[in-house]
Amino acid sequence: MKKKLFVQITLACFFLVLPLVSHSVQRPDPTEQMKPFVRKVMKILKNADFKADPKCIICQRLIDVSRERFDFNEMSKRVLGRTWRKLNKEERDNFADLFTRLLQYAYIGKLEKYTGQKVIFKSERIRGKRAEVQTELSDGQQSVAVSYIMLLEGDQWMIYDVIIEGVSLVRNYMEQFKEILRKEKYSGLVTQIEKKVKQLEEERKQRFSQKNK
Amino acid sequence: MKFTKILLNPFIILSFFCLVLFPPLVHAAGGDDSTDFLNDDFYTDTTDVVPETGDPIEPFNRAVFQLNDRAYTYVFNPIAKGYSTAIPFDIRHIIDNFFANLEEPVVFINCLLQGRFSDAGSTFVRFLANSTIGVGGLVDFANREIGFEPVEATLGETLGVWGIGDGFYLVVPFFGPSTLRDFTGTVIDSLALTPYYIYIDKFSVKTGIYAEKTTNDLSMHLGEYEDLKKLSFDPYVALRNSYFQYRKKIRDHRVFLESE
Repeated sequence: MKKKLFVQITLACFFLVLPLVSHSVQRPDPTEQMKPFVRKVMKILKNADFKADPKCIICQRLIDVSRERFDFNEMSKRVLGRTWRKLNKEERDNFADLFTRLLQYAYIGKLEKYTGQKVIFKSERIRGKRAEVQTELSDGQQSVAVSYIMLLEGDQWMIYDVIIEGVSLVRNYMEQFKEILRKEKYSGLVTQIEKKVKQLEEERKQRFSQKNK
Repeated sequence: MKFTKILLNPFIILSFFCLVLFPPLVHAAGGDDSTDFLNDDFYTDTTDVVPETGDPIEPFNRAVFQLNDRAYTYVFNPIAKGYSTAIPFDIRHIIDNFFANLEEPVVFINCLLQGRFSDAGSTFVRFLANSTIGVGGLVDFANREIGFEPVEATLGETLGVWGIGDGFYLVVPFFGPSTLRDFTGTVIDSLALTPYYIYIDKFSVKTGIYAEKTTNDLSMHLGEYEDLKKLSFDPYVALRNSYFQYRKKIRDHRVFLESE
């Protein structure tokens, strides 16, 4: 009798524990997928000579590399919220392209100041198909907390938001866009982003023409 | 025969069904919070999620924002820039530590008032260790050597814990984003509780200390405001949103869970 109970409990335990084990076995690890990607970006930055690159060819390379870990489509979808659902396929693609270009200028501009900072992986958490990987960008003196929010697509963890010191990039743009969408509708928003991208582009060019004089 | 009997045992059947039907539930159960980054609600705007704290006096706030913007661009930023080239980073870091250490008693009191006793304890240890071994707070010995990280606690947060609402978003001249409640807390925290303001009577000296502290703070964050302005479509909204998101982060005292 006792033996039977023992077998029952063992079997029950087995069934209860199984999902936990299988999860950790099947599931790819977000941090492990991030690491080679970060190494790749660091390598490009280390060899980059931004000063001799007015057209920002490196920017294009960085964007191309980013696509393997960033889902810009998912990012655009979240940043537009409700409005995304009203767009057709072509409009969605166009918006994703435009938003990616904005991010290119916004964030690659920051990377140009790259002076050998280190990325330290702090911890990660997974909930269902989403994960947060916490890192610290440190130059030895000061450090910035940067978290990556990722979505499991197939067997790849893809980034769709970046949280810098607690501030979500997507959420911040979303709130600004919401106001523009309310006042000027979708077409107004597109015009504004195009203007911003152009302005950032001009600024970059100007910086170079000043340097070369 | 015996084996099938075991398999048909209700206990086992139940656990099997649990396993098949509810794994998503098991995952979702961990500390659900609509503002959690891993929660999808965080990104949906079906309900209007303009900060829980409203901005009813937006025109006034925008005017003050403009004023602060000018003051920053033409006065404070040039000063902080000059300051940062004149004084090496290490010294500025020491000054930063010194002021932070003098504020520890305020943090300690607020931790107690919020019922965060272990945080109060580590603040106490930090203050003792840094004031003695850390040479009067010049070095953050407690964090570097014995792993007591700085704790955040202000009266604004305490009042929040006690159930007092934010009131509304408030941009304060020459100070920046805050809320009615938080700014009230800041004034009381600094004027009534912070030692270097209580023990010094002369207004001019107080102002001097404030100016030095602010300049020093600013010199550690050069270029951040310019970046925000350059990359945003409405710097006012961008800053308001960043303020609330950042505040949420520093007031979230839960330990980061590795897996849920």
